[in-house]
Amino acid sequence: MNLDLKAINQCVRCGSCRTFCPVFEESGWESANTRGRIMILKGLTCGLQPDLQVLGSLNTCTTCGICTENCPAGVNPPEIIENARRQLVSLGKMTCQQADLSRNIFASGNTFGDGRDRLSWLTDRGLLTKKADYVYFAGCMNSYRYTETAANTFALLNRFGATMLPAEQCCGSPLLRTGFDARRFIDENCRQIANTGAKTVITGCAGCYTTLKKSYPQDFRVLSVPEFLAERISEMDIKPLDLTVTYHDPCHLGRHNQIYEQPRQVIRAICRLKEMKTSGKAARCCGGGGGVRAGYKDLSLKMAKKRLEDVPGEVDYIVTSCPLCIRNLRDAGAGEKVIDLVDLVAMAMQ
Amino acid sequence: MTDILQELKGIVGDRVSASPGERCCYASDASQVVGLPDFVVRPKSTSQVSRLLRLCSEHLIPATARGAGTGLAGGCSPVRGGIVLDMSGMNRILEIDYENQQVIVEPGVVAEKLNFALKPYGFFFPPDPGSMAMCTIGGMLSYNSSGMRSVKYGTVRNYVLDLEVVLADGRVIHTGKKVLKSSAGYDLTRLFVGSEGTLGIITSAGLKIAPLPRTRKIVLACFEEAEIAGQAVIRIFSNGITPSACEILDRTTLQVLKLCDPLLAIPEDGDVILFEVDGTESSTSEAARQISEICQPTAKSVRIAVGAEMDSIWSARRLVGAAISRLDPTKTRIYMGEDVGVPIKEIPALIKKVQQIAVKLDIPAMKYGHIGDGNLHVALFIDVMNKEQWEKLRLAADRIHRAAMDLGGTVSSEHGIGLARAGYLPEQMGMEAFSVMQSIKKALDPKGILNPGKMGL
Repeated sequence: MNLDLKAINQCVRCGSCRTFCPVFEESGWESANTRGRIMILKGLTCGLQPDLQVLGSLNTCTTCGICTENCPAGVNPPEIIENARRQLVSLGKMTCQQADLSRNIFASGNTFGDGRDRLSWLTDRGLLTKKADYVYFAGCMNSYRYTETAANTFALLNRFGATMLPAEQCCGSPLLRTGFDARRFIDENCRQIANTGAKTVITGCAGCYTTLKKSYPQDFRVLSVPEFLAERISEMDIKPLDLTVTYHDPCHLGRHNQIYEQPRQVIRAICRLKEMKTSGKAARCCGGGGGVRAGYKDLSLKMAKKRLEDVPGEVDYIVTSCPLCIRNLRDAGAGEKVIDLVDLVAMAMQ
Repeated sequence: MTDILQELKGIVGDRVSASPGERCCYASDASQVVGLPDFVVRPKSTSQVSRLLRLCSEHLIPATARGAGTGLAGGCSPVRGGIVLDMSGMNRILEIDYENQQVIVEPGVVAEKLNFALKPYGFFFPPDPGSMAMCTIGGMLSYNSSGMRSVKYGTVRNYVLDLEVVLADGRVIHTGKKVLKSSAGYDLTRLFVGSEGTLGIITSAGLKIAPLPRTRKIVLACFEEAEIAGQAVIRIFSNGITPSACEILDRTTLQVLKLCDPLLAIPEDGDVILFEVDGTESSTSEAARQISEICQPTAKSVRIAVGAEMDSIWSARRLVGAAISRLDPTKTRIYMGEDVGVPIKEIPALIKKVQQIAVKLDIPAMKYGHIGDGNLHVALFIDVMNKEQWEKLRLAADRIHRAAMDLGGTVSSEHGIGLARAGYLPEQMGMEAFSVMQSIKKALDPKGILNPGKMGL
């Protein structure tokens, strides 16, 4: 295997990651910790065979990046691990869950393998203009699971001249996170974005955001919905709500892209904000990212349950800006108490 | 092997692994000592550890205990294979008895978590290694570790009142009582502390705790060179002042600290001594003033830091050992020759010798450590893909160890011997003293199953 030995060797095995890795916290086995994963990668370069246990170690990393944030040696483990997943997949080494996920996406253009129309939630297709300054990129989760959020987001953004892609495809994030090639989807989405003439793509999904921003050609500006809303909040007809909410930082907005303040700015314009026990750079992962929810649902939900322990008392809602986080936190027991930032804004605009 | 695996499952259920990947993860700590275990088990109770050791004894299987694997000498690397007992799952604080100034903990409790639990009671467990956020009490006990505040508070050994230990044949003993002092019999507690799992496996510990000081202050004194800094330290101690920490940071360390936290207000050049004083507001103000006055005539600059600024300095200092790669991403810190100690008065001489070794071998060395107790940490960093640099590194580490012994010091002040420094132990101790150690080992572990190969045993 052609792994980046320089990056791997930067790890001094100090074990700092034991304090932070949410997967290790649940498992307790060293192979479920960042340091262990890096030792396994080193092992792979010295003859260790990528059996199911090895794949389990590498594939249970949520790529949340809290180890990167706290690594004294400056190692970026999610990057190293995603690279290893790619290499293993290219050698045909993958779990059934990885294979199923990619099969779904390649067959249907979405993570669910759902054959329905991606825009079924959009009541007035006349709002989709061929040319626009902004494109709202809904992502698979909001297109198929949280369609009300998609509708709320589009309603908001459309006021500022946003359109949507006529045949949006999965952004490619689940493929890239789990080791597959996403070029086909990237090319297709880029082609459609170019046809709209838009110079800015706005997305409400943290996974889509990080992918559009880091894995797509830099032909357009990428904004997250919280960034866009923070810029435009004064132009919206917001009425303060007598609510107290908390905010869960999605890893791919926060640690991966340093978007911490904008969602808070929007929340504070609407209601009271009470921070979680860990927040910002130190925010605990919901357990849903990196393909972990798809491949290891029980483990993923255990992490989500742990995240819910961080929720302060007496809050009306847990607000976040990522549908993957919403699903995991809801499924872990928080139910409808977890809402998207856009849904909070929609409440304040009613 | 299959039979053994079945027997292990019978003892710990699914908390056993024989998979190549898991074994690979337990092959080493942060040192360069590597040994692949045949099995990894994660016991949850003393009785499981006892049954495991009975099994090992019966089948002559090496048994190596491991905490968080943050060690720097290969103490938990199973160099003869066998079973690694990952003790980090035994992580309960069994009792906080602050009225008797003690706690009872299982070995897997993380040091920092113990201190979080003690804080509301106004107490703390003083030994504070740089790895305290992740290292376990069991590991600290096994290496008699200490840290930045050992200059005032001493090492782990000073805080252990009682240990529950599983012996090689599975018998369980207690080495002490729940009393603050005892003069009954041999001091078995002190024997097991620092024995690196070669005499028994610790399954619980009664530890003395100390009241949290009301306040702390840091004096940052910057000197033109380390020798002048060392003399200032000696003057401070001879004036009857005992700081709660007394750390030296060389130029390279200062650069790395700045990279860890660019906002740190620390000098960028020179050799800095961090003096920490703790106590009441008035006693710390007085001590900080005295230290400043003593340093003033020979220092380039002196200033006092408190509160959040002080906390930031300590946080960055704790991480500095592993952070060297931030200075040069092409190089990795290798823990070798990293923990020597000499009498305090010899620190300037040791620093000079280390510098000469580094220059002669053309290998970069960052120097920092607990100058207040004579413990110097040397961080050697190399391009690990370069064989020639590995050779130089090994040579430098050997020369540093020998320099410390020549100055009447030790090859390890707080990280332990493991396998990495085992070769030096007979020379440092003298053969007669070392043979006493061998006799003790033979008496307690006649079959040699407990962490074999470590400490030269």
